[in-house]
Amino acid sequence: MSLSRGRCERRVDRYRMRRVTAGCSGGRGRPWGAVLPWLPLLPFFLFGLLMEVIPVATVLVSSLRDAGGSATLENYRRALSPAIRASFANSIRLSAVTAALGVVLGSLAGYAIHRSRSALFHRAATALADVATNFGGAPLAFAFIVTLGSTGIVTLLLSKALGIALYPRFRIYSISGLVLAYLYFQVPLMILLVQPALRGLRREWKEAALNLGASTAQYWVRIGLPILAPSLAGGFLLLFANAYGAYATAWTLTGADINLVTIRIAALVRGEVQLEPGTADAMAALSVLVMAVCVFGYLWTNRLGRRGRS
Amino acid sequence: MKRVAWWRGIVIGLFLLYMLIPLAATVLFSFATRWDRSIFPEGLTLQWWHAAMGRRAFLMTLQNSLVISLAAMVCSVVLVTPTAYWAHLRARKARPLIELFTNLPFGVPGVVLALALIRCYARFGGSIVYSPGMLVAACMVISLPFMYRPVVNALNAADVRTLTEAAHSLGAGWLATITRVIAPAIRSGVLSGALLVFSTVFVEFTLANLLVGARFKTFPIYLVEFTRFDGRQASALAVISFLLAWATSLAVLLAMGKSDQEREGALGAR
Repeated sequence: MSLSRGRCERRVDRYRMRRVTAGCSGGRGRPWGAVLPWLPLLPFFLFGLLMEVIPVATVLVSSLRDAGGSATLENYRRALSPAIRASFANSIRLSAVTAALGVVLGSLAGYAIHRSRSALFHRAATALADVATNFGGAPLAFAFIVTLGSTGIVTLLLSKALGIALYPRFRIYSISGLVLAYLYFQVPLMILLVQPALRGLRREWKEAALNLGASTAQYWVRIGLPILAPSLAGGFLLLFANAYGAYATAWTLTGADINLVTIRIAALVRGEVQLEPGTADAMAALSVLVMAVCVFGYLWTNRLGRRGRS
Repeated sequence: MKRVAWWRGIVIGLFLLYMLIPLAATVLFSFATRWDRSIFPEGLTLQWWHAAMGRRAFLMTLQNSLVISLAAMVCSVVLVTPTAYWAHLRARKARPLIELFTNLPFGVPGVVLALALIRCYARFGGSIVYSPGMLVAACMVISLPFMYRPVVNALNAADVRTLTEAAHSLGAGWLATITRVIAPAIRSGVLSGALLVFSTVFVEFTLANLLVGARFKTFPIYLVEFTRFDGRQASALAVISFLLAWATSLAVLLAMGKSDQEREGALGAR
């Protein structure tokens, strides 16, 4: 039903388009007919080329060249030294852990918000998630130092009121501290990402399953989760990329002494890039590869999800 | 059924606690006198706020950040809105390519973008690549998706193509069509995109730190510097940052909500 309507709309679209383009340019007869409609888009594409494509391509190309300009893999060999390999391992582990926790906690919270009956609460919680997604960076890191730092408010409260000493076993200035801080923007992002998928989950399906004798757990394992799967997988990939690229939060919280890819690249950019430009290029190129896999994976799951819903 | 509601209450409660405790802690911390020996602060004071806001550097960095954010916001609106409108109307085949360009920033971390710009343009001299102008352009790149999405959604919702054809057939010229028909129809989308750009750029630390750093100090750089030597004043600055984020988000919500109401009102009047 909905499918045939979509097809019909598309046909109308195509019909309208033909009329508009026929009215505007000369069509196929003139050689400029095909190019002219793209002309007003020139500033945008010029901006994209100059600010995105050419700079990133420069880095990718120069990562494969030595100082003299001849082709080499030396930069990658140097970028895979033990210390830098460890930074990739740390970044990937941090991203995977915060993405996995973010998907689980964000989906649970998203479901709880989705099922609440109050429309006002629904809007308020979504707004909160919306703001928190963009919180990241320096103020967030600082808020966590105030809350869970060595003299943080919650640290104090736990030790004075309950006798639980967080320090020195836990440190907010470490990778486990970063996990806690990253979740502050990962969970809300997942809440936003999972909402459309949850809306697609029809209540009748659950009622039908329960009427046919399934338990709630069976409903989730056999019906609910498989339908949500593309959105959850896509959410994981987007959260992964989100954490992998994060820099400001980690830098404010831990300074330069934590071994993450973004921290290392930034250090090279700030000071030592003149000494080892090739290494920075190779690290950047590998990061772009990681991110590209995530983003294209996300777009692909998005398409899967959309096809599943229509 | 009751068991389920109970479970949901706990999840929502924990989520809200986790979201609100760091904010509340920062606010309290900025008003507390001494707070490292007892559960509650030993007193309340406005001293830190006074000190933080009294500095010349405070106003200067705030002003710098405002300049960068407003410039990025205006340039984004000018660059993206006509592009999205034209692609929607006349060059629909260009749309996947435009979407690719607007989604690219998701795949390029801030530090990589900064590195790429420096490696690409440093050869033309440091005054170009390490300039506020380059920072504005780089900030526009990372906020492209936030600008493009709402505008496209507004274009789709308003059925802009029919509106344009109707305006033309009623004898309106291009200028009149755009200023009197299209602009009001997509205003809320453009506005929320612009506000999202503003709030994203205002808190942007990575690009500002790597591209301009101390040469054109922005508010987030100032804040990070403060966290290193005076936590109390830094907490006051962090609260300002949070308030700004909330205010812009609220404005976005209002911009979107209002347009919904307007549309409903218009339907009712008909």
